[in-house]
Amino acid sequence: MPINMMIIPAYYMIFGALILPLLPQKIRSGSFLLFPLLALITIWSFPIDHVIKINFLNYELILGEFNRLNRIFGTIFSIIAIIGGVYSYHLKEKGQQSAALLYAGGALGVTFAGDYFTLFVFWELMAVASTYLIWARRTKESANAGMRYLIVHLFGGSLLLAGIILNIYSTGSIIITSLTPDGSISSWLILVGVALNTAIPPLHAWLADAYPKATVTGAVFLSAFTTKSAVLILIKIFAGWEVLIFFGVMMALYGVVYAVLANDIREILAYHIISQVGYMVAGVGIGTEMAINGTTAHAFSHILYKALLFMGAGVVLHTTGRSKLTELGGIAKKQPVTLWLYMIGAFSISGFPLFNGFISKSMVVSAAGEAHFDTAMLLLLLASVGTFLHTGLKLPYFTWWSKSKEEIEPTKPPVNMHVGMLLAAILCTLFGVYPTLLYDYLPFTVNYEPYTIYHLTESIQILTFTFIAFWLLRKKLEGEPTLALDTDWFYRRPARLIQKVFVDSLETVFNYTEKLALSLSKEIIRVSRNPLILFDKSESDRDYDPDLHRATTHLLLMLIILSFAVFFLFSIII
Amino acid sequence: MKKWHWILLGVITLITLFSEFVLLADYPKKHWWSYIPAFYILWGFVGCVAIIYISKWLGKLFIQRKEDYYDAD
Repeated sequence: MPINMMIIPAYYMIFGALILPLLPQKIRSGSFLLFPLLALITIWSFPIDHVIKINFLNYELILGEFNRLNRIFGTIFSIIAIIGGVYSYHLKEKGQQSAALLYAGGALGVTFAGDYFTLFVFWELMAVASTYLIWARRTKESANAGMRYLIVHLFGGSLLLAGIILNIYSTGSIIITSLTPDGSISSWLILVGVALNTAIPPLHAWLADAYPKATVTGAVFLSAFTTKSAVLILIKIFAGWEVLIFFGVMMALYGVVYAVLANDIREILAYHIISQVGYMVAGVGIGTEMAINGTTAHAFSHILYKALLFMGAGVVLHTTGRSKLTELGGIAKKQPVTLWLYMIGAFSISGFPLFNGFISKSMVVSAAGEAHFDTAMLLLLLASVGTFLHTGLKLPYFTWWSKSKEEIEPTKPPVNMHVGMLLAAILCTLFGVYPTLLYDYLPFTVNYEPYTIYHLTESIQILTFTFIAFWLLRKKLEGEPTLALDTDWFYRRPARLIQKVFVDSLETVFNYTEKLALSLSKEIIRVSRNPLILFDKSESDRDYDPDLHRATTHLLLMLIILSFAVFFLFSIII
Repeated sequence: MKKWHWILLGVITLITLFSEFVLLADYPKKHWWSYIPAFYILWGFVGCVAIIYISKWLGKLFIQRKEDYYDAD
């Protein structure tokens, strides 16, 4: 086999991450784009069902497995890395650029991994590299959120590893295969580990906690890779697990409720990642060919429009220094390009006809209907009402159109930020207008037509009346300067108690013991210098001086002379 | 919202109603809600109102806290 047929796409990204800091600044941002492009070309140069294997210890590792499912995920991961690279072209910080490439490399590695060992290595690589994109904001808040993010992901990673080890122990194989819901601990551990990265409540809080605190450009990459690579793993291992339908629908609505309460624009978008990934998780749970196609297509669409939305919110933050609805407003006329590019993302996520959300979300919803999960279908339609309400109406209305309390003068964003947004917006529209461009490459043959009169009527009715309800109640949706409690409470609040018991109290004991030991040794030193102080208080202010306590020499001499005199007299008398 | 915006929304609604009751009159009724006329209009409107009110109610009930809630951590 030629050597280039042995190189997996992830290596190009990782190589890029290593080489980038060594390049001169002038060509660094340009070179960034080269690596995902190479990865993309590689993905498409491999024939379907091409497999890259190596032997490692007693196991055969499948580093790359090129089937239709992996290819479509790998493609969108590479495309979004290119678009993210354009959006962050103005960045001069090599750390962030390297971390983004490393993160994308991790996502590609996970995508094409055929065995658990390879999967786990890239899984952890993603966790570490993505943390840097949060820390790079360099605020106290992001430092803390990044640490929580890392700890939670390492915890999820260890659950996954525990599941993998148990699974290998019972099956003797490290190959990733679909598991049946047989109640074995190993399957559930793997599921929980993957569910954490998929942000399935209650394991989702890291997402809404960390993404709004990441850097402007970092959040774009974050929105794309972690949850969607986890969805891919769910498809590979857990397709047809009906419990996922419940969790998928629940998370689709969960994100909607929290998006009502969120005040930070990137937090609203973060909660809507959870909501949108809910459709994908439900699709995996349904497990039919149509549902898996829908999940794949929706992941593809979602990565594009969500990155576009985060890029829009990022421009607002970059140009105004603000990200809270309560502090924004009245800038529609000052940044029309950003606004309208953002709106294309908003139309896409809301499922407007001619945009890519319409052609993918509806496939999952229809798959629920076809498989007779009527309640799930209805609730997913309700979640799409919430999506339009927040991402398409509340966020843009209060960010750009409503009156602000004070005049805001946004600065001019770097052109590349708009170019990045434009690229994503073009793709969102392109796939919306020509769905076959995507449908032809889905894992199974597609027998679904999105542009039917029924579907158009349904969507337009829902969207129109969501808008009317929003307009009538828009005052209710004004941002409030509050914080929404979420499941991160369980590890953030008890953290105080844990700190008190395991850190503060231990520290007190240590300090006391240290003090005690020091004063004891001081005392021993003092006593050793002059043990007489134990008996005589007047000795305490001086060291021991032997001369002070020794019998004087003249007394001795006097005694000797006296003895001689006594003996002398005695001898004379006798 | 200007007057013509409302007129536009009205026209769009009328077109969808025409589509629902004329073009799709014989469309197979696959779900229980297919028997409710203009169901998606209701679902969009009522759903939106419900999402706003229920979320706000939950927020006041136990979710919303002051912004500095975690600052002491």
